[in-house]
Parts: sequence; C-alpha cells; structure tokens
Amino acid sequence: MNEEFICRCEEVTRKEIEEAIADGATTVAGVKKRTRAGMGLCQGRTCRRLVTQMLSKHKAAEQIMPDTSRPPVRAITVEEIINSEDR
Amino acid sequence: MQTSDVVIIGGGVVGCSIAYHLGKRGIPTHVIEKDDIAMGTSGACDKAVLLQSKNPGIHLELALKSVKMFPELQKSLDTDIEFLNHGCMIVIQNENQWKVMEGFVERQKKLGLDVKLLDKNEARDRQPALSEDILGSTYSPMDCEANPIYLTLGLYRGAKKHGVKFSLGTKVTGIKLEKGRIKSVETDSGEILCKYVVNATGVYAPTIGRMVGLNIPIVPRRGQIIITEPVPKLIHGGLNCARYITAKFRPELLGTDEMAKLGVGLALGQTENGNLLIGGTREFVGFNKTTTHKALKAILKHAASIVPAIKNVHVIRSFAGLRPYTPDGLPILGEVPEVPGFIMAAGHEGDGIALSAITGRIISEVIADGKPSDDLNIDMTKLSLDRFKNVDVNEFRESHNCYSFAS
Repeated sequence: MNEEFICRCEEVTRKEIEEAIADGATTVAGVKKRTRAGMGLCQGRTCRRLVTQMLSKHKAAEQIMPDTSRPPVRAITVEEIINSEDR
Repeated sequence: MQTSDVVIIGGGVVGCSIAYHLGKRGIPTHVIEKDDIAMGTSGACDKAVLLQSKNPGIHLELALKSVKMFPELQKSLDTDIEFLNHGCMIVIQNENQWKVMEGFVERQKKLGLDVKLLDKNEARDRQPALSEDILGSTYSPMDCEANPIYLTLGLYRGAKKHGVKFSLGTKVTGIKLEKGRIKSVETDSGEILCKYVVNATGVYAPTIGRMVGLNIPIVPRRGQIIITEPVPKLIHGGLNCARYITAKFRPELLGTDEMAKLGVGLALGQTENGNLLIGGTREFVGFNKTTTHKALKAILKHAASIVPAIKNVHVIRSFAGLRPYTPDGLPILGEVPEVPGFIMAAGHEGDGIALSAITGRIISEVIADGKPSDDLNIDMTKLSLDRFKNVDVNEFRESHNCYSFAS
C-alpha cells in the first residue's frame, strides 16, 4: 500500500509523500519541492488531488492552497512557442 | 513566552544557511518562515553556482570563498544537494561581446578565477550542441551546479539536527525594541524574546526593515525560467551567454528592443533528471510573479539561436522568481548600528544560491564573535546597509516599478 505511486510521472510513492509531510510540508507545493510529485509531464494533474487528500489528514482541507498553475497548459515544443503569434 | 538567542526571519537558502551555521556552533536559534522552506526565490531559480557571473572585486571574492564550501556541504548534509563541478561556458555571439568578455575574463583571472576564452571549434568540442553561428565562448572549470531546492532543504534539515527550531507557516507581525535594542519578535502565534534578529527575507526585507524604522533599498527583479521534458544528456555543465552578463550588470548596453527591455540572457542547464532549465529575464515589475508569453518566446528564440537542438523539445512549465536587487548588486550583510541586534542578510539578487554558504558563515560569526574571522578577510563596510546612506530609497524603489511593500 505504501509503495503505490501517487505521482506516476515522477514515480513518487505514498510513503515518500508521507515523509515529506513529516518533514514539514503543509502544501501541495511543499510536497512537490521535497519529492518531485507534480514536476513531471502532466504537471500534477492526477497527483495534486491525491496529495491534497493526504495533506487534509493534517490540516483542514479548505486551508490547503492549490499549487500555482503556469503556462503551458499542455506540453508543446520550443519551436511552437517561437513560431506562435505575439499576444 | 518563548526565548531564543537568535530569531532568523526567512526560510530561504540564506536563512537556512545561517541557521545551519549557528546550529553547528550551538547557539539557540529559531527560524520563522511565513510559508514553507524554499518557497520563494530559493525555489524559483536555476541550478547554476557560478563564479564567472560575478563582478571582479568583492563580489567575486565572496563567491570564490563560498563555492569552496560546497563540496563539504555535499558531504556533511544528509540530503543530496546534487553538487557538481562540471564548469560553465559563456557563449559569445559577436565581436562586440568578444571585446567585453576579453576584458571581463582578464580582470577575473587577476582575482584567482581559472577562466579562459575558447574559439568556436574549441567551444563546440566542449559543448557539441552549440550552434555553428557562435563566435566562441569563455570556459571556467571552477563553475559549479547544485539543486537549489535540495540545498535549502538540506540546510534546513541539517540545522534542525543541530537543534535549531523552525516555525513554518508563521508570520512575523512586529519587532519590539527596548532602549533601542532588539527585545523580541512578535508572530501570529506568539512572541519570542531574543537578542538578535536576522532579516533573511530577500525581496521582503524592506517590509521587515520598516518594523524597526529602516528603509532598505531592495526591489524585486523578476526572472522567468522555462522547464522542458527530460531529454538525454544534451548540455554539459552550465551554459550562459554574454548577454546574460550584460543584462545583469549593464542592462543599458543591451539597447532598446523587446529582448533588451526584458533583460533576456541565456542561462541553460540540465538537471539530474534530464529536464532542461532555460532562462531567463531580468525585469522590474514589482512583486508580479507571473510568466508572460512575450518573455517565454524571447527566451526560447534566443536559446535556440545558441542551441538549435532544443527546438524539438517539449516545454512542460514556466515559472518566475523575484531576485532581491540592491542599487550596487551586492547583498546587504551585517548588524545595523542604528538598531543594535538587528542583522541584515538579504539582497543577493541572483547570487543567493552561490553566496549562501559564505553568508551563513559570515552572519554566524558576526553573531557569535562580533565580526567575521580574520582569515575570511572581508571588508564588511562594502556590504553594510550604511553604504546606501546617500541613496534616495523611495526614488530607487519607484524608479524600479516597486510602489508597495509586500505583506
């Protein structure tokens, strides 16, 4: 059970996330910085809910802020960005 | 009420390094961090630990002393800080840049930096991904890299091991003085009596400074950075460009086009996981931490002109960090004579990671021994807040688009 992957992209296990929480992480971003959960190709689309759920055992769920979302929304190539129209 | 000899405000790389050094010396220390470890500037930067990007003078001297301390940190901290000594190249794209870098390299050599100029072929032998259109590069085998987040977390864990107390998610609401001297720090979860307060809050240092009546000249300078998917080994060591150096020290020389306005200069590195970190910009936009399409496009266009192979790599994220910028580009370190017990350790701009080790040592010695040890041979007057006594701080803030104090 503890060895199951919470973040599939970076292969971060439930146990590693529990360790991050024990190390002081109280936010999704705090778990991410300690474990890489959410740093992979999908940028936390699946794992941020699971991580939030795990954090909510230690802190009221409504106090857990979502991690900052940043462009791009999905992975795109460097060339696509270079050739994109100015906005 | 709690008591501690020292209260450090700020759990970034600087605060954690000072905590680690004080902890090692057995000095009771308590770190107050409003959010979490490495959640601000220290967790929003690239991985370079550069000597070549330091101005010849006290700036480079500090960096040389600091970088020497990293191998020991890699060994003694329980966290792998991913420290590597694989050198760095600064790519030169035209004759003008060559002339500037020639002079820069000569002055750095005199201070003991092992650095040389490479022609195009030598540069491309060392870094095969470089474009055929470059003119050459510099190279220093002394430049290093580290994972800034793991470094900060490693220092945090090391400090805790040595007995330092951390209050995360805790906000400082005031600082009390008694007969002009530091008496206590008030937080949203209680007051802590202490002898010293260390202001290690980077871009937020002016907000803390105001609590004791100081007007501190630090403004945020935004750096936008791009992260790609992991790719097989493409970049060896660190890679910067001559524009990066110019954007840092003499942005006015870049001209007036869009790229110049954004302060675009290349900072490229590859993480142990294979992701490319591609930076960056230097912009004065207050406390705005968003990333912009204009900047991402400009950064990538410039990066692809130096390393064409990145064009087919996928970008997965962008982020921005706020670098604490001072009027002379040097950090503000040491006790402020007007407020005995109040110690500054902020304003490292983009050099916080590289200078974190030496900053931790200097500040711990200032607290424990009254001054940095003689073997460090550092002229603290060049780093004092007092050096800015003739600077109009309000004018400095406003001319750098900083109109508010962050809370």
